[in-house]
Amino acid sequence: MDGPLKELFKLERLTERAKGKTPSIENSLDSLLQSLREVKDRINAGSVTEDTYVLLAQTVEAKKKEIDEKQREIYNGIARLGKALDKKFTQPLPTYDPLFTSKDAQAALERTIALHFLRTGQFSTAETFIQECKLVIEPEQRTKFQDLHRIVLALKRQDIGPALEWSLKNRDFLRKRSSPLEFYLHRSQFIRLLLAEPLDAGPAISYANATLRSFYPEHATEFQRLMTSVLYLPKERLQRSPYADLASDSVHTDLEPLFAKEYCTNLGMSRQVPLRVIGDIGGGGALARIEKARTVMKERKSEWSQSDELPIEIQLAPESRYHSIFACPVSKEQSTEQNPPMMMTCGHVITKESLQKLCKSNGRVKCPYCPTESTQANAQHVFF
Amino acid sequence: MSSTKLNSEGVLLFEQPFVRVPYENYRKVFRATQRNIERELGNVQTVSNDLLKRSKSREVNLEDAAKSVDGMIGRVENLKRKLSELQDTAGKPTLDVTRERLQHLMAVETLQTTGSLDFSRWADTRLDRWLVDWALRTGRENTARTLAQDRNIETLVDIDLFTDIRRIELALSKHSCTEALAWCSENKTALRKIKSTLEFELRLQEYIELARDQKKQEAMAYSKKHLVSWQETHLPQIMQAATLLAIKPSTTCGPYRRLYDDSRWLDLIQAFRLAIYNLNSLPTEPLLNLALYSGLASLKLPSCNDKSSHNIDCPVCDPSINTLAREVPFSHHANSTIVCRISGKIMDEDNMPMMFPNGQVYSREALEDMAAKHNGMVTCQVTDQKCEFSALKKVFIS
Repeated sequence: MDGPLKELFKLERLTERAKGKTPSIENSLDSLLQSLREVKDRINAGSVTEDTYVLLAQTVEAKKKEIDEKQREIYNGIARLGKALDKKFTQPLPTYDPLFTSKDAQAALERTIALHFLRTGQFSTAETFIQECKLVIEPEQRTKFQDLHRIVLALKRQDIGPALEWSLKNRDFLRKRSSPLEFYLHRSQFIRLLLAEPLDAGPAISYANATLRSFYPEHATEFQRLMTSVLYLPKERLQRSPYADLASDSVHTDLEPLFAKEYCTNLGMSRQVPLRVIGDIGGGGALARIEKARTVMKERKSEWSQSDELPIEIQLAPESRYHSIFACPVSKEQSTEQNPPMMMTCGHVITKESLQKLCKSNGRVKCPYCPTESTQANAQHVFF
Repeated sequence: MSSTKLNSEGVLLFEQPFVRVPYENYRKVFRATQRNIERELGNVQTVSNDLLKRSKSREVNLEDAAKSVDGMIGRVENLKRKLSELQDTAGKPTLDVTRERLQHLMAVETLQTTGSLDFSRWADTRLDRWLVDWALRTGRENTARTLAQDRNIETLVDIDLFTDIRRIELALSKHSCTEALAWCSENKTALRKIKSTLEFELRLQEYIELARDQKKQEAMAYSKKHLVSWQETHLPQIMQAATLLAIKPSTTCGPYRRLYDDSRWLDLIQAFRLAIYNLNSLPTEPLLNLALYSGLASLKLPSCNDKSSHNIDCPVCDPSINTLAREVPFSHHANSTIVCRISGKIMDEDNMPMMFPNGQVYSREALEDMAAKHNGMVTCQVTDQKCEFSALKKVFIS
């Protein structure tokens, strides 16, 4: 963005008053005004001659020229900025046929956006939007998100109360997932008490006795560490001790994402904000790649043959891979229900059709990837 | 990891209109400035030359001269005031917006990866911008305003532009061309450059309305004034328009019925939209839709439509989003990626896939974790089959 910013800076200098090489338009107008007033004075004094008018006409001419010159400079500055922008943004956005216009798609998009506003805690925008689109959003959806935000905001304020209340209510769920949420909430509170001024380990230890003790069976090591950390007070010493990690802010700040994850899973919501995930992929190179493929295919005069599948692979970050894909190493085809992945006794996996093709008349198959020979009957259907 | 590296070309593809809109606005301000200068100073020039001429031929008395000079002073003062007003209310703010937007893009260009908190904040703002753009284009102005205010991104979105578009479109839908024609004359040169025929179509519509009211004299005068100048490119239409005067609005004759048809107004709205989007480098589709299209196509898999492989974290598995995804193609994959259904991690040599006797596969890490907690026993999440960890088989995916 350096190029355009530089041109913009120059343009700003040009249009600022009393700067730049040539006098500003304002100055030119001021001096023209002054000349006019002088002529007026002369007229009033009766000392006006033909030369006065000659001079005035010349001044007007000269000032007009000056101003035109300045305008030309600005015009050129604008044009240079335009060129710099063209250089930076070489490709216009593609033209698509109208997308998501069917009734179903429109409704789905509106609902997605409404839930997005709720999910991201933009409640007033959400209400405006829901009213404007006359949407129906179930009340429990709203409470669900309002609770999420109430609790997260409390965590931000270092108040673990609401989060703790929620985890007690959902203890069974958390236990089943062996989630450390409840323990970590108490741990955060314990450390806050421990490091509070004035220095006194008493309240922290009694807090640990009352709350943390019951977690000993599951979190023995961590429990012991917490207890031993008491020996390294105050905070400055703790920071240089083997327990430095306990003095770091992340003990408290990590609670937010951890809580949000458990909360969302419990209510059957995705752990990331879906619109952000899709938007980041689309706006992070996918559209550019798709468009490039389209142009290349147009140049080669070959149409996008499989209209139902992209012609190119868009690389996704590991955290954006949600489903297993099995592409057969022999046929390069993706497995389907009719053509499932099959594991031979050696552990290598190919699709059923490839397996059948490799199979000799006696039912034996030689693995294409290792020397092992096995039978087709022994191959096992695997599920990813 | 290559995929988390910031693809700035891909990011910037979406941002051309973001900087083009304020740029075009500034050009408009410049043109307005220029028009003012030409008008006022042109006049001052004429008056001063006239004064000189009259004084040469000794026709000027002091009183007249004083009046002329006063007039000139008035004009120059007026011009000065107008220019400074333009600069303060339009010129400078527009340049400020341009700078702010360029800096906003600069901020993302300097980021190396998409994993940082800075990027996450930037992408949040970008999504908000897209949502405002979408809301404005689909007529949810209140939402757009609330969102922009709430997120404090008013300088990063183009509410004014879309308010203007809406005002003109509304006028067209009420069968008035005046506003659209005013816009055309403001953008005459730019429209000529893109060979837009919007103005002709608008003029033709006004003519048709005169014909509809059977105001033949006025229609002919209108045609002479506004249509004939297009004869080089639009002769057939102009001739057809001339014939229209002989035909009543109740006609059943195809081409003339079409001219009288009310749907022509809808076409005008569409044509106006295209022209104003084009001048501002705005795509015809909302930015959000383009991002959704490409994002969904990158994610969509047959598994997203299969209940047994439903993944709560997958955006495309969400019922509403799944409806949207019907319009986009599936993603394409040449290589296998096996994702653990317990941990969500991708399996590889360091985290081998392991198979239960019934064929269900999970990642080694997740199963080891489970075994450690349950005395070496593991349980399949789908079928509830239990077995010793040692009974699991390694799976090789090439």
